[in-house]
Amino acid sequence: MRKNAISTRVLAALSAGALVSTVITVGATSTANAATPKAGGTLYLLEHTPRLDHYDPSRIYTGRDLAFMNSFHTRTLVAYNPVPGDKGADLVPDLATNTGVPSNQAKTWKFTLRQGSTFEDGVAITCDHVKYGTSRVFATDVISDGPQYLVSWLDIPKDDKGNSIYTGPYKNTPAGVAAFNKAVTCSGRTITFNLNKSIADFNYLATYGVISPVQKKKDTGDKYDLNPQATGPYKIVENSNTQLRMVRNAKWNKSSDTVRTPYPDEVIIQFGLDEEVIDQIILEDSIPNAVNFGGPLPTNRDKFFKDAKFANRRMNNSDPYARYIAFNVAKMPCIEIRQAMYYARDAKALLDYAGGPDYAGSYATGVISPLLATDFAPTKVVGPSDHKNTADVLDATTGFKPSGNVAKAQALMDAAKTKCPAEYTRATTTGITIDVSQSSTLNDTIPINEKAFARVGIKVNYNIIKSGYYPTVMNAEKQSDLSTSGWGADWANASTVIPELFATSGGFNLSQNSKDPAYKAFEDKVNLAMKTTDRKKQAALWKELDKEAMKNFWVLPTLFGKAQEVWGSKVQNVFFWVPQGNPAYGKMWINQ
Amino acid sequence: MPRFILRRAYFSLITILLVSIVVYGVFSILPFDPAALTCGQKCTPQVIEANRIKLGFDKPLWEQYWLFLSGIFVGRTYGAGSAEFSCPAPSFGYSFNENMCVTDMLKEALPITVNLAIGAFVIWMVVGVGLGLLAAKFRGRYPDTLSSVFVLLGTSLPTFVTGLFLLVYVSIKWKIVPLSLEGYKSLFDDPLGYFRYFILGWITLAIAYAAFYTRFTRATVLETLGEDYIRTARAKGLTESVVLLKHTMRAVLAPITTSAGLDIAGLIGGAIITESILNLGGLGRMTIQAVYEFDLSVVVATTMLAAAVVITMNLIVDIAYGYLDPRVRMK
Amino acid sequence: MKNLLEIKDLKVTFPTDDGFVHAVDGVSISVTPGETVAIVGESGSGKTVTSLSVIGLHNRRVTQISGSIIVNDKNESLDIVTAPLDKIRSYRGRVVSMIFQDPMSSLHPYYRIGSQLAEAYLVHNPGQKEAANKKAVEMLELVGIPEPQVRAKEYPHQFSGGMRQRVMIAMALMNDPAVLIADEPTTALDVTVQAQILQLLKDLQTKLNMGILLITHDLGVVAQVADRVSVMYAGRIVEQGNVDDIFYSPHAPYTLGLLKSVPRIGAKSSERLKAIPGQPPSLINLPTGCAFVPRCEYISLAPSGSCATLKPELLGSNDEHKSRCHVPEDKRDKTFAAEIKGARA
Repeated sequence: MRKNAISTRVLAALSAGALVSTVITVGATSTANAATPKAGGTLYLLEHTPRLDHYDPSRIYTGRDLAFMNSFHTRTLVAYNPVPGDKGADLVPDLATNTGVPSNQAKTWKFTLRQGSTFEDGVAITCDHVKYGTSRVFATDVISDGPQYLVSWLDIPKDDKGNSIYTGPYKNTPAGVAAFNKAVTCSGRTITFNLNKSIADFNYLATYGVISPVQKKKDTGDKYDLNPQATGPYKIVENSNTQLRMVRNAKWNKSSDTVRTPYPDEVIIQFGLDEEVIDQIILEDSIPNAVNFGGPLPTNRDKFFKDAKFANRRMNNSDPYARYIAFNVAKMPCIEIRQAMYYARDAKALLDYAGGPDYAGSYATGVISPLLATDFAPTKVVGPSDHKNTADVLDATTGFKPSGNVAKAQALMDAAKTKCPAEYTRATTTGITIDVSQSSTLNDTIPINEKAFARVGIKVNYNIIKSGYYPTVMNAEKQSDLSTSGWGADWANASTVIPELFATSGGFNLSQNSKDPAYKAFEDKVNLAMKTTDRKKQAALWKELDKEAMKNFWVLPTLFGKAQEVWGSKVQNVFFWVPQGNPAYGKMWINQ
Repeated sequence: MPRFILRRAYFSLITILLVSIVVYGVFSILPFDPAALTCGQKCTPQVIEANRIKLGFDKPLWEQYWLFLSGIFVGRTYGAGSAEFSCPAPSFGYSFNENMCVTDMLKEALPITVNLAIGAFVIWMVVGVGLGLLAAKFRGRYPDTLSSVFVLLGTSLPTFVTGLFLLVYVSIKWKIVPLSLEGYKSLFDDPLGYFRYFILGWITLAIAYAAFYTRFTRATVLETLGEDYIRTARAKGLTESVVLLKHTMRAVLAPITTSAGLDIAGLIGGAIITESILNLGGLGRMTIQAVYEFDLSVVVATTMLAAAVVITMNLIVDIAYGYLDPRVRMK
Repeated sequence: MKNLLEIKDLKVTFPTDDGFVHAVDGVSISVTPGETVAIVGESGSGKTVTSLSVIGLHNRRVTQISGSIIVNDKNESLDIVTAPLDKIRSYRGRVVSMIFQDPMSSLHPYYRIGSQLAEAYLVHNPGQKEAANKKAVEMLELVGIPEPQVRAKEYPHQFSGGMRQRVMIAMALMNDPAVLIADEPTTALDVTVQAQILQLLKDLQTKLNMGILLITHDLGVVAQVADRVSVMYAGRIVEQGNVDDIFYSPHAPYTLGLLKSVPRIGAKSSERLKAIPGQPPSLINLPTGCAFVPRCEYISLAPSGSCATLKPELLGSNDEHKSRCHVPEDKRDKTFAAEIKGARA
């Protein structure tokens, strides 16, 4: 899967649960374990886009970019543990002394800053710096594109339009400032966040730079995005459309940072290279200390993965996304037809077209991705019983067959004929409309789907949206009967998946399920889960909710994706880091 | 002559202004909301609205255009409160994608495109005209045949094929020209780095253009060789090389100059494909990226600049033609 | 007196897609100092090829040339047919000069005429810029261009047709050549200007004592300036003699035809122009026998069958006046004289 730098989902992580992750296929890691890391050299990351979306910690929302900046440049209150395996999703203290202390039913959170951390100009980091950094996201007209959770969750009143009365540090009203100062308080080295509802996993938000220290006098507003101040072991010396170049930050205090091990002398992202060219560079090893930042082109995957020469220079893992087709339940209230579509679909043909189980992924069983291991349980209501078997043996009780269970689908359609005749007629005559985003693969996938659904008499029409896909389908008036979509959690908790996709208050509910009879009970359970600070108990609730959403056929789950990474021969210690679904950049070293 | 130039300058300004209006017009009839494209799937309507205000798309189009136009003369400020900043005159706007004033972006990109164009120009003129001359002089014999093979290749190979081929084989596989990772280096600061940066781009462009000039020169030279005044030159006792290089080339100069002037003007507008494939930070790449990202300010600026260059070069070529062809001189 | 130019048995052939063209088939002409020799003929007769060959301007790669073209300078002489190209070049513009039909296209449009003239001098006298420029102005004056210093700085398009031809003449005479070849020098000019140019040529010839080889199709021009005439047809000379002989007692049927076809002032408008019927023959497949056969009215006067089968030789009772025809000369004199009288009436 290619990571789209403009709209990438952040992968959620596994929790500290002692779950053995058989669910993630981890390609061979490098020879790290054998050799001792050496300092020095330059780490190159080769990228085809002209720049990363943002560097300003308040504005980064792309998982890979977050992992990158966090590895080298931007420290946060808490960070993910940079180790291989499930433990990579554990939170560890970074600028704070612990991973945050909840109280008041997780409506209040306290973090205490450790001593010795500094900005790149030597100024010591204080609580006020963190508070100021937190205030910036409220200036939505300047600090745009970052996660908006603070605006929703901090206990600050909203005006009648639904906007927060606090408008950020650049221009504001006294009332707004007062409200902010009440919601975020500093006492010595301790910062307290007062939320307007229980958020059991608020400390996961703290892995985002949106809660990270910024000096008011160095805040250049929109331009801070060019060269934010470093708190980590590297600082930016060049940010052009040729490269982002980072060198060692002399003011980084090693003793204050237990997370990072800065081996290379320089870290450079090289922008604007043609994707084919990047693959050629890795294939020829002409820059042996380079990593393909975006992953190989599908046409080149076999060159890397079928050649033993690259055994230590590639990895193939689950990506953070669960792909699905959302049912517009309001337009398609007949559950039998929704079920029939699920069973009639030729999942195998589509998976093979996308690259097969080797590269493209596995059949999805819900909207919680396997990388969210704590909250993941393949639901038996739909889909294969065991995610371990990506393509073969499937539980006969579920009825799912990779190429489609035509008999079961036909039976469902026959039932629908009598139960919901109007919809049945529509599905078999005028047809059902599916929203898709414009893509060159549609020429091949649409016929596959048309053929598959036609086996049970369902006619499908495709509404190809050329641009602005998400804003279009998010508009309930413009949305069709089905809309293809995908979702990745913002952090290692399904709290950023289930409520978002299925609750009416959720930010991305394409299912229009509020009128569904099952909805009320569902919503109550969601609210309960949001309050449950016991992680294990919360995880059990998310699993149930995923199962229920699938049982109600509010979405048609399609694919759990996979992503590949390749790198040059001198880059060492490349391992898959679960939280964002990419290599642990901060742990790489160059074998000069 | 000065009146002539003045009149041309006046019409040129109007043309450039019209170009900017057309670009704004095209942008206004886009079938989608550009603010909605500023963020991805996790965009909430509030965020889209905030972005719309930040980018100035909430204002009516004529007001947006007026702000843009006046910005060229008085500069323009963005943001509010302590986050306010400005792009001084001449301001072509601000790119929120690049976090830079467009004028500064132009200043960075222009030398790259100009160097690319001029270097390629020198190579293709020397090779193209030289080869064309050889082909004409040895018409029907093997230099002519070889040059027609070259012409065929040069005109049929698109630049993205040549550029990619050169990059993948010459740079990456055979390592003849090592990959330039450091970006643009000026000729005076780092001559070796300068050549490394531009050489593949020069060759890519030169192949395509030289082919045209080979064919054009050959045809024009052959046509000129049939002229009576060439016969006169020979009848005076001049050697063939003087006949060819002085008398013939002098006659061929005018049409070639016209063509060359317009070609290089077009290139200074930006060699989009070559710059994108070879990752050169010139105006072409800047323009195409801005088009993909719907960065209106940048697109308008580069389009106006390209138009200005072409118009100016047209004027220069017209004036030069007067010097090259005495028959069209104004008295 | 030595001949300035001696063309002997010149044959010029060149290949085309359809076959070999025998443009010139055994031509012999000579020019003495102070003499104007005219070559007359219609298009395709070989006259221009002959004149171009004299200064070696034929296409050397494909043209086959045999015979000899001897040019005699003051102390040197050169056979153009066998000489190497660099020697020929040293003669061009210096010993033998040529002016062409269309003076506008024959002058380089982009160079000032002063520099074009000077160039003609500098080719053979390298490095003498000042002398060249001075001579250029002198020559312009000589050919009758008013204000020569001013006009030397101008471009060809700023001159009228007649003036341009004067410039061409000036350019040709920059190095005092022994022979001037003039290929249809007045064809492109108005009749009044024509007369001026021809007079200029005559005056210059007297001044410089040079020989002029004049190529033309216009008998009026011939009458004005030529001393001797060679009439060409189908690549061969069909008659040669002094101008009076040609005009008053032509011996070749073709010559007679040419004379008869000249429109006369004073003729009645109802009178038809007496064009020679038929077309010149293809020079690729020359016929056996006399090339004029298809158009000749006098075949019956020749010994039976001889015209069609045998090429006539260039003969004459008088060495100065020769012609090619199988009809016995006395018979021709009688028949043609009658025709001429009629033509003159």
